[in-house]
Amino acid sequence: MATMANRLKLSGFSEMLTTSRQRRENFYGYLFLTPWLIGFFGLFLGPGLFSLYLSFTKYDVLSAPEWIGLKNYIKMFSDDPLFYTSLGRTFYYAGVGIPLGVFGSMFLAILLNAKLRGLAAYRTLFFMPSLVPIVASVVLWKWLLHADFGIINQWLVDIGWSDPPGWFGDRRWAIPSLIFMGLWQGLGGTRMIIFLAGLQGIPESLYEAASIDGATAFHKLRHVTIPLLTPTIFFNMVLGVIGGLQVFTAAFVATEGGPGFATTFYSLHLYRQAFDYWNMGYAATLAWFFALVIVSLTIWQLRLSRRWVFYYGS
Amino acid sequence: MAATIERLPSTELRADVYRRGRNRIQKAVTYVLLTAAALMFAFPLFWTVSSSLQTWKELRSFEPHLLPAVPQWGNYARVFVSVPFARWMGNSFLITAITIPGVIITGSLTAYSFARFNYIGKEIWFVLMLGTMMIPTQVTLIPQYVLFFNLKLINTYVPLTIGSWLGGGAFMIFLLRQFIMSIPRDLDEAALMDGASPIRILWGVLLPLMKPALTTVAILQFLGDWNEFFGPFIYLNRVDLFTAAVGLRFFQNIPLETSDPRDHLLMAAAAIMTIPVITLFAAAQRYFIQGVVLSGLKI
Repeated sequence: MATMANRLKLSGFSEMLTTSRQRRENFYGYLFLTPWLIGFFGLFLGPGLFSLYLSFTKYDVLSAPEWIGLKNYIKMFSDDPLFYTSLGRTFYYAGVGIPLGVFGSMFLAILLNAKLRGLAAYRTLFFMPSLVPIVASVVLWKWLLHADFGIINQWLVDIGWSDPPGWFGDRRWAIPSLIFMGLWQGLGGTRMIIFLAGLQGIPESLYEAASIDGATAFHKLRHVTIPLLTPTIFFNMVLGVIGGLQVFTAAFVATEGGPGFATTFYSLHLYRQAFDYWNMGYAATLAWFFALVIVSLTIWQLRLSRRWVFYYGS
Repeated sequence: MAATIERLPSTELRADVYRRGRNRIQKAVTYVLLTAAALMFAFPLFWTVSSSLQTWKELRSFEPHLLPAVPQWGNYARVFVSVPFARWMGNSFLITAITIPGVIITGSLTAYSFARFNYIGKEIWFVLMLGTMMIPTQVTLIPQYVLFFNLKLINTYVPLTIGSWLGGGAFMIFLLRQFIMSIPRDLDEAALMDGASPIRILWGVLLPLMKPALTTVAILQFLGDWNEFFGPFIYLNRVDLFTAAVGLRFFQNIPLETSDPRDHLLMAAAAIMTIPVITLFAAAQRYFIQGVVLSGLKI
């Protein structure tokens, strides 16, 4: 008992529990945290755990969940071809779209960071597409990329491509179409602003030192700018992967997952299972597996980051 | 001047001239690349407006018209006659009118708790809060739907707005917490000495100083709700309750057999839906960028 009390005293615990100042901190801290705590338990943790339970059941909302053990998990891995297809298409979309998006935004930010006149106007213009609501953007891009009447295909025909792609209506081109649309919306948006903030954090003295050593613009980019931007690249990659894998609205509104499942991404497959077929239990299984994939990828990126992310001054 | 130049060793002079020439080329290349990018970003925006002002026949011709022969301003009016678009926009505004006060009040309270109080378990809650950002929404989707279904809250705005009154999400809380932490504690302490209660300190001392952060949060919340598709799509299935985003998709998907051709009207509707966002951006541009600065992402 005595040693226990000692240990508590050493770690400051007894004071935390007893002094009136601490009691006050606990009281008000938790008082103001209450709305968030209600949300955390009621809308996040509770539903999350309930969804884990549902993943072991057959459930259609109207009748009570029926426990079926691992059947949903077995079905997912061995009896649902769309599980693998949709996962593959999601990785295709994210695997191509995210690196292009992150490095494209970085490239634009580097151009905008030059000390030249009129760049604020360019920055505003680049930012504009990210303001267009995604559904409006889909309406616009379906028209731009219309197989017959779209202006892009009319230009492609003019420059001699007699048989231009059918874009959203073409199995091979549907995902690239979504990627183009995503790049138009995303390149100049918040991600570019984050890169600009990162660029402004690079000390001018490093560039001066490089100049004195006779470094060219390319050398400065290669040996100063990019190494010092690695934390920003990393941050944007992590956010990009979490967001990109959850792609839903663009594909759902543009193509409803078609043509022929070409854009049935994981989240669309999950949505269909839940709200078209009312396989809520199975959809919960898909959701939990998805969470596992995203969390593992994030942790993996964190681990990998130690090898390539460079923190200046540490 | 001439004397100075003469005194420079000739090789160094040549290097200097060379460098200046190179700088000029760099500048030119930068402008060319920026302008090319600007055209690519701007053209679709221009095309939306231009298409929305053309007749359907003009749009559907194999000779593209960059500009309408006669601007069809009537297209915009016809959107509101074809579908209840005004109603849908109003619904979207109504949702933001509920969520913005919610995130400002409960988000500030949560951020205040994290930034200014030192209580048992705080670090754990903070890490858990940040962790919620990593978990895909699909994990909580189904139980949340079941919950709201059983509470008979389908076809109400409760499922879409309740979260904003329960802290408003990890990102907003984090942003507000970072801002509060940048306010000197001395101000709180002074008010405390004067006998102010913590809620009084938040209301009287901190909130007035937090206006830039609160504006940023309000704008982000507006953009998020205006853009949001999935939530309204699954929780609302009565046409009169739709938001602008869900309504626009509904308009797009009305079967052609039952309606006139409407590509030009769809473009007009897309433009109408974008106008509030662009207006907000024009009025409060710096707050759009502030979110990045506030979250301390110097990285």
